[in-house]
Amino acid sequence: MSDKPTRREILGHAVRGATLVGLGGAATYLLTKSGKEGTWKLNPEACVNSRLGAVGVDVCERCATSCVLALSAVRAVNDHDKCGRCYICPAYFDVQSAITPEGLPSQKLCPRDAIDRKPIGDIDPDDPANNYYEYTIDERLCNGCGRCVMACKEPAGLTSIRLEVRHDLCLDCNRCAIAMDCPDDAYDRSPVS
Amino acid sequence: MDRVHTNAQHGVLTATTMNSRVSYRRQRVLVGHRGFAPEQVSESVHGVAVGPDGAIHVVGDSRVVVLSPDDQRLRSWAAARPGYSLAVAADGSVYVGEEGQVELFDRAGKRHDVWRDAQRFGLVTAIGLFDEGVVVADVRDRCLRRCDRAGRVLNNIGKDNKMKGFLVPNRHLDFAIDREKVLHVCNPGKHRVERYTVDGKLLGHFGRFTGSDPAGFSGCCNPTNIALTPNEHVVVTEKAGPRAKLYDAQGKLLALIGEGDFDLSCKNMDVAVDGEGRVYVVDTVRLQLCVYTAVETGNTTKPTRPPASQEVSP
Amino acid sequence: MIEDSNVRGCEHTRSWRERRARRGTWVGLVCVVALLLPAAPALGQYERPVDAAPAAEDIGEDYAVPVVQVHPPRAAWRELVDVIVLGGALGLAAWIVHWRRSRRALVALTIGCIAYFGFHRQGCVCPIGAIQNVTVALVDSQYAISYFAVAIFFLPLVLAVLFGRVFCAGVCPLGAIQELVLLHPLRVPRRTDRLLGLLKWVYLVAAIGFAARTAVDRDFIICRFDPFVGFFRFAGPLHMLLIGGGLLLVGVFIGRPYCRYFCPYGAILSLLSRVSWRRVTITPDKELDCGLCAEACPYGAIKDLRAERSTCLACARCFDYCPRHRIRTTGGRAPEAAVSPGKES
Repeated sequence: MSDKPTRREILGHAVRGATLVGLGGAATYLLTKSGKEGTWKLNPEACVNSRLGAVGVDVCERCATSCVLALSAVRAVNDHDKCGRCYICPAYFDVQSAITPEGLPSQKLCPRDAIDRKPIGDIDPDDPANNYYEYTIDERLCNGCGRCVMACKEPAGLTSIRLEVRHDLCLDCNRCAIAMDCPDDAYDRSPVS
Repeated sequence: MDRVHTNAQHGVLTATTMNSRVSYRRQRVLVGHRGFAPEQVSESVHGVAVGPDGAIHVVGDSRVVVLSPDDQRLRSWAAARPGYSLAVAADGSVYVGEEGQVELFDRAGKRHDVWRDAQRFGLVTAIGLFDEGVVVADVRDRCLRRCDRAGRVLNNIGKDNKMKGFLVPNRHLDFAIDREKVLHVCNPGKHRVERYTVDGKLLGHFGRFTGSDPAGFSGCCNPTNIALTPNEHVVVTEKAGPRAKLYDAQGKLLALIGEGDFDLSCKNMDVAVDGEGRVYVVDTVRLQLCVYTAVETGNTTKPTRPPASQEVSP
Repeated sequence: MIEDSNVRGCEHTRSWRERRARRGTWVGLVCVVALLLPAAPALGQYERPVDAAPAAEDIGEDYAVPVVQVHPPRAAWRELVDVIVLGGALGLAAWIVHWRRSRRALVALTIGCIAYFGFHRQGCVCPIGAIQNVTVALVDSQYAISYFAVAIFFLPLVLAVLFGRVFCAGVCPLGAIQELVLLHPLRVPRRTDRLLGLLKWVYLVAAIGFAARTAVDRDFIICRFDPFVGFFRFAGPLHMLLIGGGLLLVGVFIGRPYCRYFCPYGAILSLLSRVSWRRVTITPDKELDCGLCAEACPYGAIKDLRAERSTCLACARCFDYCPRHRIRTTGGRAPEAAVSPGKES
């Protein structure tokens, strides 16, 4: 009860002070190594679905199945600047399927029918092959399975479709389940520029 | 409908038809060299053509390499820009199609002229020669241009349609010109081969999208390259399932060539046929030239095996 | 010169083509230079298309190429807000536990923190998981830990050195969710409790071990086996939901099992809180040693009638057992009926 601090109290203060200094020092050291929080990104040069040269291999669908969310945060995105707008798109159609009388493949490739195809520009009503077509992927349906990505890849297509982590959906998990499952280590959490 | 037997191991295919049995055997592979010595191409091979003496001209990177049929390097020289196509005239002079220009070399490789036109020769992916002139394919504008021997563009071919040109998503427009000055042009986006006069009039076409049936074409854009045989048959190459195919002039499939021989990522494989009907197909990934000869198999469909010494591992 | 009418018609696009051709020339020159560079790696064999798509002019009819939507990631200022909120919540918890001394206020803070850190931020990134990020930052020179992770890792530790385990009090969403399901606390025998408490250290060492591996082998096991983040997200793999459900079920009877026996961050906090400046006192002023608080702690943190610094989770439940506290809260009026030990106040 005396006002004079006891030895014990002084020792206590010293230890506390040292601990705080230690914590502060560690924090400062780490701050020198730190950067802005990154978000998970898929590297198309590593992913087998979009990696050039990996032709004739099975589609890897782990982006759709591994995400902790019920509907994966990964989406296929068609880059319209690169899309050829072909009449017969190998990502829209299953080009191995039987041909309808109109001359188009009968089956679509997307298991969730997420690709929308519409003719654009000056539409020729007589010959549908005389038109350009715009292919858009409906993000409410797409689950990022990657089949269209593989089908659009060179040489079959123009590699305009890629898989992308959608940041408005991604939870930014500290441990991304897809990143851990990816056999090509295509996921990276570097800061976004 | 043609029945097709495959023997994927040796790249030999037989198309049995009602009347004839013809198959193509891979005779040898002229190995491209990945390297950086002046005679070698290291990154790409875009065009092949056969000269009047049977010498095989190949353009790749920015080089033209001339090989003898038995794989001797005869000569090579550099072009000013990367070459995308070439053609060899009867006197041995070489036309090389590049971006924005066509270069003319004599048979020794000395450049004697260049036709420069950034608009009309945007990217020349094919050249065809006939008596009075030259036809070049400009893939940037998706059409052919007929020029006189001085390089002046006289008219366009293939531009006069609703799509304002050919549909070429694969960015390589190829054609071949026959003795009657008829142009056989690949229109890959429409899955067919079209025939035009040099004045630009459409004469006809064959081929359609048939999915997995080899009689037609599949994928988004096939066929990509074309050459004519001495007996006016048509050889085309395809991608995404790279191979070559032989059709007769009416568009009936006669043979599949080289199924399984090419790297799966090959695209826009140029093709040429020499005076004896040997077919040269470029493997654009391995930088090789595969040579195929026709073999009459008679009544048997037994595939013939290339001699072990000539088998080249990829 | 014979000119096709179409050729003339194309001249209106000449300037566009001129620009493209000029750009194309530069592309070509760059290609030539690139081709002269030393051997490309295996991937260099394969060429991507250049200028492959039909341009808007080719398509005609005023077609405009649709722009691919780009969703920007979470703005940086939001992370700053999170850090500030965390600091504020920690300060508030410290104030409630040491000065205000009100269980009700702490419950309110608990609910608020579940709502914010749990359901709004969906429980990730949390200070517990930040152990792994810090470990990686220390062993891997290529790894850039985020400012946010550094802040949320050290803030509760600093507060622990000052005020004890106030992070556990009502701020940590994992602890908060267990707090709210504790309905019928049972006493765990002391020995068992201490032994089980060692598991925290095993988990901590394992977590550091897995995080310290090289990039290909690295695994964040704290995140992998996070019991409650699946509930906050309303989605998750089965094993996560089962572990969480199981712990919550157990937590109805045995208070905060994850915090006491598994939490690796709790291991660190238990160490640091031993030297805390302010310790949690059950009495607001005088120690009476009356023994009424002996059975007051559902987490077994009262030893010799004092709150044990390293295990006290600052839940403020024990305050109501103390007669000094009752005098203070009732302002000298007749004390209310005593709350019998074993029942939740």
